[in-house]
Amino acid sequence: MFGLVGRVVRNPAQAEEVTQEVFVELWRTASRFDPARGTARAWIMTCAHRRAVDRVRSAERAARRDDLAGRRGQGRPYDQVAEQVEATLEHEQVRRSLDALTDLQREAVVLAYYGGYTHREISELLAVPSGTVKTRLRDGLLRLRDHLEARP
Amino acid sequence: MSAEPHLLTGAYAAHALTDTERLAFERHLDACPPCAAEARRLRAAAARLAEAAATPPPAALWDRVRAEIATTDQVPPAPGRVGRRFPQLLAAAAALLVAALWVTAAGLGPLGRGGDTERVADPVAAVLAAPDARRVAARAGGAGQAEVIVSRQRGRAVFMAAGLAPAPAARTYQLWMVDRSGPRPAGLVEVPAGGRVIRLLDGRVTGSEQVAMTVERRGGAARPTSEPVVVVDLRA
Repeated sequence: MFGLVGRVVRNPAQAEEVTQEVFVELWRTASRFDPARGTARAWIMTCAHRRAVDRVRSAERAARRDDLAGRRGQGRPYDQVAEQVEATLEHEQVRRSLDALTDLQREAVVLAYYGGYTHREISELLAVPSGTVKTRLRDGLLRLRDHLEARP
Repeated sequence: MSAEPHLLTGAYAAHALTDTERLAFERHLDACPPCAAEARRLRAAAARLAEAAATPPPAALWDRVRAEIATTDQVPPAPGRVGRRFPQLLAAAAALLVAALWVTAAGLGPLGRGGDTERVADPVAAVLAAPDARRVAARAGGAGQAEVIVSRQRGRAVFMAAGLAPAPAARTYQLWMVDRSGPRPAGLVEVPAGGRVIRLLDGRVTGSEQVAMTVERRGGAARPTSEPVVVVDLRA
């Protein structure tokens, strides 16, 4: 979880803060966890990811907007996010599953999940309509799911 | 909101919606079981991406978490599940904490596969999550509310208390495991602000019939020197 939060937040001190918040939140709301709706692990990771994304969006919103404006039409932040992710993707199976996506799907999924970008931001970054980003995210995750379920 | 809300399941699962969009889409999910089912499955798939980024957290982080949850109240179950009592809640909380530890501990691999629970980093969580974990409440009339979670399989017990007043000046609370041969020291209890305590008892519970807590001179005693303020009968 700490690794995931760190990946999205990209600041070790803040990642620790967010991870601590997530643990306390899990403890506080454990009774609301419903096993019928999914595994505990998925629930934990969903909470952690959501908190990390919230943190990135609130803390970096302004900075990032400038960043987006500056970057549009130049080098893509995907390269940067993907590079960091690639360097630390330990889990062979997840890596293989990501490889099973088309380049466009993988780009959208990596930017959204590890980068913490909204679909609108991604559509700006990639200069494609946001409907296209939504479709890529959905198709990408569907394919990821099929791949992970086929070889759990 | 999009004219094609079902296309949003992926963006939702990847947390790529703004708060406004997310709330609108969650309303849609309530009314659209196929989307809700797809969103759940995509969320599970997205959560697997987290595994790829596993890193061990600094040890100090876990200490801070433990300190904070000791003084954090848990919310009651959602309406509709109200009939469930504390042991179930506890089991759910424990399972989650253990799961969190598994997920957190790098290199241990995905939850529920390979490995055994002995490798769980935290012995408190290991006791709480033990299949035979049993909760025994203290006899009425003690200091605050107290209970012991005991697992004979693990041979360990966890003392939990709420609303515990600080020990008198120059005194400390001390736990004891009591069996036929008498009491043996099971550790001192620090009471944090808020009076909520979660503490693993020192020593193994095999053969122990009671857990007791007394007030002793600071530093503790080899044998109890006062009447217990809490008695938990493990045979109950």
